[in-house]
Amino acid sequence: MTSETPVLSVSSLVKRFGDVTAVDGVGFELMPGASLGIVGESGSGKTTTARILAGLDEPTSGTVLLAGEPVTGRSRRARLHRARLLQMIFQDPYGSFDPRQTIAESVAEPIRLHLPDLSGADRRARVAELLDQVGLSERAGGSPPRELSGGQRQRAAIARALGIRPRVLVLDEAVAALDVSIQAQILTLLDSLRRDTGIAYVFVSHDLAVVRHITDTAVVMRHGRIVERGDTETILRDPQHPYTRLLLDSIPVPGWDLDRVARDRRALDASR
Amino acid sequence: MTVLEKESAIRPDALGIDGLTLGIGSGASAVPLLDGVTVRVGRGETVGLVGESGSGKSLTARAALGMFPRGARATGAVTVAGVDVLAAGRAALRDLRRTRASMIFQDPRAAINPVRRVGDYLTEGLRARGVPSREAAATALELLEQVGIRDPRGALRRHPHEFSGGMLQRVVIAGALSTEPDVLLADEPTTALDVTTQAEVIALLKEMQRTRGTGMLFVTHDLDLAAAICDRVYVMYAGRIVEEAAGTALFSAPAHPYTKALLEASPPVHGDRTEIKAIKGRPRSLAEAPSGCAFRDRCPLAGDDCAASVPATRAHGTSAVACVRPEEVAR
Repeated sequence: MTSETPVLSVSSLVKRFGDVTAVDGVGFELMPGASLGIVGESGSGKTTTARILAGLDEPTSGTVLLAGEPVTGRSRRARLHRARLLQMIFQDPYGSFDPRQTIAESVAEPIRLHLPDLSGADRRARVAELLDQVGLSERAGGSPPRELSGGQRQRAAIARALGIRPRVLVLDEAVAALDVSIQAQILTLLDSLRRDTGIAYVFVSHDLAVVRHITDTAVVMRHGRIVERGDTETILRDPQHPYTRLLLDSIPVPGWDLDRVARDRRALDASR
Repeated sequence: MTVLEKESAIRPDALGIDGLTLGIGSGASAVPLLDGVTVRVGRGETVGLVGESGSGKSLTARAALGMFPRGARATGAVTVAGVDVLAAGRAALRDLRRTRASMIFQDPRAAINPVRRVGDYLTEGLRARGVPSREAAATALELLEQVGIRDPRGALRRHPHEFSGGMLQRVVIAGALSTEPDVLLADEPTTALDVTTQAEVIALLKEMQRTRGTGMLFVTHDLDLAAAICDRVYVMYAGRIVEEAAGTALFSAPAHPYTKALLEASPPVHGDRTEIKAIKGRPRSLAEAPSGCAFRDRCPLAGDDCAASVPATRAHGTSAVACVRPEEVAR
């Protein structure tokens, strides 16, 4: 039965900050083990949407269902319930690690919180397994966050998020700050984790090439609204909305046609 | 021979960096930063300098302005429009930065004084060259129009915080080109911008550069971007140039294993969906690099001979490459 229920279901999500509507009627569904891209530029509302999913912002209206149940409220119980099912990864995880704790201690923290009955030995075994799963050495596990490179810190953030076996991982520009060669390592890691654990991803990114690699379906957001949705491959091969076309043609390729980008921009302005 | 080539045959290159070696400190505590970097930018040419963290690409671009880290020792030659940068004194360097070479950075807000009006920013370079204030103001207005700022007259009186990142980067580009420099050093100028804004700023940069005949050194981590807009591209790794190729040739025929690995690590947005191949390990700086070829500990083709010495640069296909076995690097 659970395999038929979307693990995440969002409908009519609205978020206003004063007079500004950051998210305007956003809705989508995510099946267990699936991967959905949220594509957009600054001001598109993609990050606000992600923050609402993780419970970091309250929506003005609309609903978020996790495994079929509504998640609302900011009580400790509600937040724990949500965190158990859904974890979030940020662009630079540096700020989310306690500088005085070792990486292994930070990875153990959510396990301690959510699975208090687990013995210390079992918890340590689970942390070692997680670090190994994301490709971090024992030495890296014993280091404070400042001694790790950006790629290693992102691995550590993934290990920590996976510790309590959530059903959904929300990744907000999670590979945007990494060097190309490191970005490929993290993408490959995310591929294998999804294959092995059946976790589902909401992958928020401005980078269409990365979104194409890591997602099955995608929504394109602009000014708080979803302007196009569908299979990622179909969107990229045959974009319907003028904004999606502008985004695609803005990506540098050999023989890049900047005049075409300018034409796309005029077509988009004319469509409003 | 094109007009451009004929011109460059008589006039010196916009920028010539020849065998630049840079390090901090001496003896056992010495930290090497760059090793034998050679980069040439002809007049009106767009040249890419591509690399990951620690490759030395920004250090190389800054060297063109005589900007070195504190305590650094430089050997080799750096020439901008015929001026010997390494031998130049303080006054000569100031004059160089004011008239012959301009630089734009990733974050326009770091490059522009937040409490001064955009008009002041645009006219100060011209005023310093002795242009009368009325004429400087007219030039500033004209520049803002050229870079596509709406209401340019009003913009002159506004402060930087009233502009978006993309619009402010246009202002900075206008300022950098106001003195008609021989060379423009652009260090990740569009990295902080949205993709659609990046495309517009690049179009503007190319157009301004084309009409003025300015040489541009375009520093970026983005191989696709460099290959798309540059006549030639240098690929840097751990403080050295490992490959030089025509922009169009990089994709079809990479000659260095590192260039090929970078291409295979980035997922394509068009064409067939292909597997990406991660490069093991992480990018190194020159100080951390292994002996011989710095890439050998991450290279799938490395053999014992790669450790012997730093590979000499040699011609292979249309590239100049620092690798002992470029013939094995077929795509």
